[in-house]
Amino acid sequence: MTRDEYIAALKRELRILGDTEVIEICSDFEEHFAVGISQGKTEHEISAELGVPRSVAETYLSDNIEQASGYRATAQNTAAVTQAVVTNPTAGKDLSGPRLFVILFNLLFMVWVALSVYSAVLSLWAVTAGLFAASIGLFIAIAAVPAGAVAGVVLAAIALLFFTVFSGILNFFLTKLCVMATKEYVKWNKKIYNEGF
Amino acid sequence: MNVQFKKGVLDLCVLSMLKDSDQYGYELANTLSALIQISDGTVYPILRKLATDGMVTTYLQESQSGPPRKYYKLTGLGRKTLVALLEEWLTFTRSVNQIVGGDGK
Repeated sequence: MTRDEYIAALKRELRILGDTEVIEICSDFEEHFAVGISQGKTEHEISAELGVPRSVAETYLSDNIEQASGYRATAQNTAAVTQAVVTNPTAGKDLSGPRLFVILFNLLFMVWVALSVYSAVLSLWAVTAGLFAASIGLFIAIAAVPAGAVAGVVLAAIALLFFTVFSGILNFFLTKLCVMATKEYVKWNKKIYNEGF
Repeated sequence: MNVQFKKGVLDLCVLSMLKDSDQYGYELANTLSALIQISDGTVYPILRKLATDGMVTTYLQESQSGPPRKYYKLTGLGRKTLVALLEEWLTFTRSVNQIVGGDGK
């Protein structure tokens, strides 16, 4: 194949590309021929070394397709990101309603509920402390009571001590429950405050 | 050599050849085709793609013998890409050699 034949064949295979692109590509090959000829090669040798015009053209065309699909992929990514931002449940949502609800509900209602619950728990602890004090008092009183009453007083003191421990255990779990419930409630409040219903 | 093997590494080869000096198409094509048996025409689409991707820039320069030549010069991006590709290539070949037993072990 001569130089002109080669370039013509290449042009034909590349015809679906834009004119400027075809001209640029062909000038690369014209230069290649010119350099080869200046180094003493024949046009046919150079053509043979370059490879079949069709397969050379195919590489250009597939690069072109890859590039186009590359742009498309980027555009898709952008669209996906945009959509994610738009459909994000918290972005741009009006939170004033839920926030007002959280503040008012807590101030007007939950504060009193919490106060009564915690004061109840506190009074139960006071009962436990009272029971403990009473049993200690009885143990001290043993020395002062007449000999015949000692057995009864000791029994009463032990019974009181038993009630102290029992109510202490009960109060412990009750307190734990209240603290856990409070934590959960605060978490729920935060969620509504930040994300709405 | 297997065509699929070559396709993946031609970018790396061209970028490497431009690392130390600017070269023109014919030169690059000649060296490459002599070493890894590709047809000369394969080099030009690669060069064009590298230019489109901003890896290389081109400039024309007169020559004492023959026509003016289009020289290819590595850009900063091209240099960075070369380093990354080379690293990838070395890791990859090391692993493949380990699998096929080509490292003499």
